[in-house]
Amino acid sequence: MINLAKKDIQHTFGTFIVTAMGVGMLLGIVLIMMGVYRGMIVDAKVLLDDLKVDLWVVQEGTLGPFAESSRVHQDLKESVYAIEGVSKTAGLTFQNLQLYTSKKPVRVMAVGFNPFDAFNPISPNRLVAGRGLMRDHYELVVSDNIGLKLGEDIPIGRHIYHIVGVTHGTVSSGGDPLVYMSLKDAQELQFSYSNERIRNDRARGINTTVSLMVNCVVANIRSGYSVEEVAENIRKSKHKSVYTQEEQNDILTKNLIERASKQIGLFTAILIIVSTIIIALIIYTMTLEKMKEISIMKLIGIPNMMIMKMIVQETVLLGVLAFISGNIFSHIIYSKFPKRVVLEPSDALLLFVVILFASVLSSIVGIKKVIHADPAAAIGG
Amino acid sequence: MGRQAIKVENLVKHFGEGDSLVKVIDGADFQVDKGELVALIAPSGAGKTTLLMMIGCVEEPTSGRIFLGDEKVYDNKWITKETRKIRREKIGFIFQAHYLIPFLNVIDNVTLVPQTNGVPEKEAHRFAMELLEYFDIGDKAQNFSSELSGGQNQRVAIARALANKPQIILADEPTAALDTDRSISVVKMLKKIALDQDVAIIMVTHDEAMLPYCDRILKIEQKRVVSHHVPKEGVEML
Repeated sequence: MINLAKKDIQHTFGTFIVTAMGVGMLLGIVLIMMGVYRGMIVDAKVLLDDLKVDLWVVQEGTLGPFAESSRVHQDLKESVYAIEGVSKTAGLTFQNLQLYTSKKPVRVMAVGFNPFDAFNPISPNRLVAGRGLMRDHYELVVSDNIGLKLGEDIPIGRHIYHIVGVTHGTVSSGGDPLVYMSLKDAQELQFSYSNERIRNDRARGINTTVSLMVNCVVANIRSGYSVEEVAENIRKSKHKSVYTQEEQNDILTKNLIERASKQIGLFTAILIIVSTIIIALIIYTMTLEKMKEISIMKLIGIPNMMIMKMIVQETVLLGVLAFISGNIFSHIIYSKFPKRVVLEPSDALLLFVVILFASVLSSIVGIKKVIHADPAAAIGG
Repeated sequence: MGRQAIKVENLVKHFGEGDSLVKVIDGADFQVDKGELVALIAPSGAGKTTLLMMIGCVEEPTSGRIFLGDEKVYDNKWITKETRKIRREKIGFIFQAHYLIPFLNVIDNVTLVPQTNGVPEKEAHRFAMELLEYFDIGDKAQNFSSELSGGQNQRVAIARALANKPQIILADEPTAALDTDRSISVVKMLKKIALDQDVAIIMVTHDEAMLPYCDRILKIEQKRVVSHHVPKEGVEML
């Protein structure tokens, strides 16, 4: 039996492939959009995954250092450590900085931690050059996408910092590259005022030093203790908000990027609808171009089913080829995006199912034309 | 009934209704036997193509009866809903232009209907090649219609019409696009096919020069079909 779709595609192979590639680029963008969303989730979890803590103790009534401003005293880590079931604690700071590199200013998130504490947010797996922090002052570990090199010096605030290590894939939930510095340096940057400001405050009767603050205290729990119970103890005794790792994860992935993900989701849905309409229009045009032939085929007795099969096969093949070229396209360009793009096979599979469904739906327009084609139109008079 | 290929009884075709009613064919009665090449003539707009389409089970008549071979296909309504199957199995069509499927090569164009009828690919190909050799275009089997001349395309179209071994061939002005010499050669070919394949052929034509090569002439006169013998000497339009 002659396969009409195969013959038609063979005859117009170049046009068919170029059309599929065109639709494929659109699908590639859909995949990239999905990848941007996945990338946001991965980015949001980088710090959490690297820290591996059980509890986040933050300023009462706030969502913690990533979602809301939070300040707690540094010595809170000692009093939390004293609570039964807590195995280790540390104070951390998080702040956005503008680094003035030789090329251009780069917005980064600085993570401040005590290099001699039990918690080290720099995962050895992510350290690609140099070492971690080993001194209390003026050392910096930077993410490789900032563009700074190991051994370089860079001014931040009133001091010059020396880059002692380079990490890969370390970004904040907002996608900004991370830099790691000692807690003392971070506190000075975040909480110390200029001399002029201190004098001004004193003149107003304000005489406080706030440099011994941190944004949060993190804690790990001894085995055999319930994380929830220990968290509840801290809440009651320290009057602080306490979040488990899972809750912090939810704050980052749901609260922080929820609107962004909805925006991306809507954009992706619109792109899929546009792709479906484009495929439908292509099939409609391809069918219109063949109306004379379809009338002739109907006149000489070719069953509707055989002609409709041609339309459906061509549409589905167009969808499949577009999907394949879209995948190739997205894999070629995804690394060029400034933020992390994670291409998941499960997303590609989902898109494949959607496109397959959309292709079959699109073929309905062609099938309707076939059903209504008048065989007598093949003959003049 | 043995030699009867087409029989039409009191066939009527009206378009529209009420004040806009147009009677195209009003009580046509005629018969065409196997092996006959019959010319169907009439002025433009007289209903030649409509009559051809009714016999070809494409256009539904208003009333009457149509027999193809021994089978009654229309008796005031189609006897079967599968009129397309009748076309595919019993009728071959030749048109004014070749109307080959442009994305199929010559051999695929010729074997499309037989293969759809369930003829195995090899057998369909063998018979198609026989037909193409018969029409002297065997070497063009793998070519597409865009690569052939007008005459070659028309021969492929005739081969396609014969590929399903039809009882009837309906040809709608098959020579209209050809010069006189080629037209005569096509009509001679149709006559030979009618005899060799024992097929009834109805050929719509406006070309008087083709009439002497036909066995009979059917003329639509006053919305009826009248049969005439072909003039023995000279050619004059009836």
